[in-house]
Amino acid sequence: MKQLWPGRVRAAFADELGERAYVEEGFGPVTVDVPADSWHDSVLLARDGLGCTFFDWLSAVDELDDGFRLVCHLAHHRAGRTDHLLLRALLPREAAAAPSVADVFRGARWHERETHEMFGVEFTVDGRPLELAPLLLPEQFEGHPLRKEFVLASRVVKPWPGAKEPGESGEAAPSRRRTRPPGVPEPEQWGPHPPGGPDG
Amino acid sequence: MDVTDLGMPGVGPELGGLQRLAPKPARYLLNWGRKYSLWVFNFGLACCAIEFIATSMARHDFIRLGVIPFAPGPRQADLMVVSGTVTDKMAPAIRRLYAQMPEPKYVISFGSCSNSGGPYWDSYCVTKGVDQIIPVDVYVPGCPPRPEALLQGILKLQEKIDAESLPQRYDGHRGAASLTRPLLGPEPSP
Repeated sequence: MKQLWPGRVRAAFADELGERAYVEEGFGPVTVDVPADSWHDSVLLARDGLGCTFFDWLSAVDELDDGFRLVCHLAHHRAGRTDHLLLRALLPREAAAAPSVADVFRGARWHERETHEMFGVEFTVDGRPLELAPLLLPEQFEGHPLRKEFVLASRVVKPWPGAKEPGESGEAAPSRRRTRPPGVPEPEQWGPHPPGGPDG
Repeated sequence: MDVTDLGMPGVGPELGGLQRLAPKPARYLLNWGRKYSLWVFNFGLACCAIEFIATSMARHDFIRLGVIPFAPGPRQADLMVVSGTVTDKMAPAIRRLYAQMPEPKYVISFGSCSNSGGPYWDSYCVTKGVDQIIPVDVYVPGCPPRPEALLQGILKLQEKIDAESLPQRYDGHRGAASLTRPLLGPEPSP
C-alpha cells in the first residue's frame, strides 16, 4: 500500500535532515521547519524526492525578535489529487539571508525579489548576496514596508479612526495605557519634535 | 531620497480670438456642444472601474447623457474618469496621460480611493487622492459608488461646463498646487 502524504514527507525529511527538520501536520497543509542553511537542499528535496513540481509562492513573515520566517508553498499534483507542502525557515533578524532557490524553480526569482524589497531579506548564491532589483516598489523607495518597524506616516499624523481596544471608545478607565496601532512608533522615537525640545 | 518634482499642471492654452471674445449666446452654444460630447477616457485602477463599465452598459447607459466611452486614448478624450486606487507608482502615468489630453479637459474622481486614498489612507504606497497630482472637477463619493452616483457626477460636471467661460477658466486658472500645501512648512522666523 502506498504511503500517505504526511508520512512520505516525514520519511523524506528524516532521511535528509534527521532531527533538524520538524514536520507538523495540523489542520492546514503539512508544514516542515528546516534550518536556514539547508533551505536550498530542502526545496530541492521537495521537488526531486517528493515530486512537488509546482512552485506556488515564496514570502516571509516578520516574527519580531525571532527574526523573519521564510515560507514557501509547494504542491504535488497528480491525477485527481493535490498534496500541499509548506516549507519554513527562521532567519535571524540582523543577518536575514537565505540561499536562493531560483535555480530549483526559475519562477522563484520574482518572489525572492519581492521578499527582498518588502522584508529586506537577502538571497545568496554561493554565500554572496544577489543584487536584486525592486519588483513592485518605486525605484526611490526607502525602507522595507512589510517589516513591523516600518513607520506608516499617515497613521502617525492622523489618529486611528475608532477604537483599537475594547472599552476604549467611551467609558474606559483613564489609567489604562493607550495602545498604539501597528506602524506608529512612540512619539519620542519618530516624528516632528516641538520647538524648544531636547534637540531643537 | 532623490525626488523628481513633476510640478503641477495648471497653465492653460492660448485662447483664440473667437473663443476669447465670444458673445454670450455663442459661448452658450459652445458650452452646450462641449457638455453633450464628452469623450471619456476611463482610468480604471480597481473595482470602481467595474462600476464605470456598468454605467456605460445598457441599463444605466451614460451615452444618453452624451458621454462617449469610445475614446481610443487620452489624446482623443475630453474627460478622464479616475476610478480606483492611485498608487505612488501609478501616479506619474496618470500625470502623463492627463498631460496628453487636449484642452479643455475635465477630470472626475470616482470613488473613495481616488478622492482621498479611501480605505488605504494609511498605506505606504497609496496616493492620498488623485487631486494631489491633477486638478479634479467633480468628486464622486462611495466605495465603490453606484452607477447612479456616476450619472449624477456627470450631470454636475455638465452644469459646471454649462456655466463656465474658457477665458475665466484659463486666466484665473488655479492649478491643483494652489489647493495643497506642504505638510511641514519652514519654521516661521521670529
